[in-house]
Amino acid sequence: MGAVINILILTAIGLVCGVLIFLVYRFLPGESDSLKKTEEISENLPGVNCGACGYPGCFAYAQALVKDKNIFFTSPCATVLNDPVMLNNLAEVLDIKVDPSAIKKKAVVRCYGNSDLIGNYTGVKTCRAASSLVGGYKRCPYSCLGLGDCVKVCPNNAIYIDEEMNVAVINPEKCNGCGICVRECPRGLIKLVPADSNIVYLCSYRPRRNIPGRERCDMGCLHCKKCFKACENGAVIWDEEKAIPGFDFTKCTLCGKCIEACPHGRLIELSKIKKENDSKKESSTRESSRKEDSGGESSSDKEKITV
Amino acid sequence: MNNLFTIFIGMVLINNMILAKFLGLCSFFGVSKKLSDAFSMGIAVTLVLLIASISTSLIFNYILVPYELEYMNIVIYILVIASLVQIVEVIIKRTNIALYNAMGIYLPLITTNCIVMAITLLNSTEHYSVLESVVNALGAGVGYTFVIIIMSGIREKLDLADTPKSMRGLPVAFLTAALLALAFVGFNGMV
Repeated sequence: MGAVINILILTAIGLVCGVLIFLVYRFLPGESDSLKKTEEISENLPGVNCGACGYPGCFAYAQALVKDKNIFFTSPCATVLNDPVMLNNLAEVLDIKVDPSAIKKKAVVRCYGNSDLIGNYTGVKTCRAASSLVGGYKRCPYSCLGLGDCVKVCPNNAIYIDEEMNVAVINPEKCNGCGICVRECPRGLIKLVPADSNIVYLCSYRPRRNIPGRERCDMGCLHCKKCFKACENGAVIWDEEKAIPGFDFTKCTLCGKCIEACPHGRLIELSKIKKENDSKKESSTRESSRKEDSGGESSSDKEKITV
Repeated sequence: MNNLFTIFIGMVLINNMILAKFLGLCSFFGVSKKLSDAFSMGIAVTLVLLIASISTSLIFNYILVPYELEYMNIVIYILVIASLVQIVEVIIKRTNIALYNAMGIYLPLITTNCIVMAITLLNSTEHYSVLESVVNALGAGVGYTFVIIIMSGIREKLDLADTPKSMRGLPVAFLTAALLALAFVGFNGMV
């Protein structure tokens, strides 16, 4: 008899719990429409909470999308963009048309590396700490410090430090354009460029207090405007204020004339970075390709000057 | 009153759940990387502990003891705690979305954490009354929050330190936790 009562009690406790959950789900103020939509959207997000879109997690991103679906274009989810199935589902839910190739981006570190050192830096090994201390230990204020803050945050391990050039390099094959590194770089050197763009400019130097680039770094922009003059389609825009070339990727026909024109080889094909992978061997090919790049024109330029 | 105070201080400092009893360590190491996350986690743990200890001590004192069913406590506790936390999560999600964003993801994480089970089982083995159980759970929650905040503060600084490569990340966190536990031994015999 006692055993029966015990079984009944245990069953009753279980039943009460079940009924309570049912009642809560049934009678609480039902999920508002926006919450339902949010859940529908978040089902179509990767759910890894990487934070690359700029929101604290996928759920928060979904909430933002409910409020304004155009956010998907201004701060897209890189994981979704690279997955056609997920992208289709999400576009259906949001009722938008997405052309992935138009939004897809790749990150580029706009520095060729090896800027002159002011002195030896032995402090905390992060770019953020180094740049807040006397503005970094390199002569050029727009140079990559090469301490790898961006390497640590990259979710795809697409960034490595080129030891020889002392610069962070992003492998465009692995990069999915999430943009976490863009926010991480204390000097703002990393920029997202359209994934199908072919030409990137590897220097972000801006003349400050009218000091020409070469006094800061012999890798820097000469401000010769050769690329600007070489382009027949008006895709190279000369930014007078910054005195460095900018690009209008809609006009660019990928002819590569600006690359040939650059005496320093600072203009480089995005696809060319691809070949240079993580290994040391390949980083040395980067060095040699740089010599080849700049070798032909710039040495002949120098000869002209000396002669 | 004196007894309640003793229970509370004992749980916060002397029998600290993490550093003296080594319970709830997975969340302690997992969520202590950032101070803000650690704080939300601490609040969530305290909330779940309170819910769990109130419900289970009521069931223990008024159902299990009169019918001599104490041996079934683990089974019943798991059932009750899991369903109650589920209910609380739904309530928070539907009424206050901001609060859900702040701590929603932590609630289901700790539903079945050992720290919750340990407190409820401790309440029953010590035959605490409902009020004593609540104070006990509050003490454990405050102790957890206290320690995880200390730990996250240290780990935020530790990230910037020049640690040897093999010690970076978790290994040095374990060492830190060991030193913290040693420091907390100093509270022994206080009450």
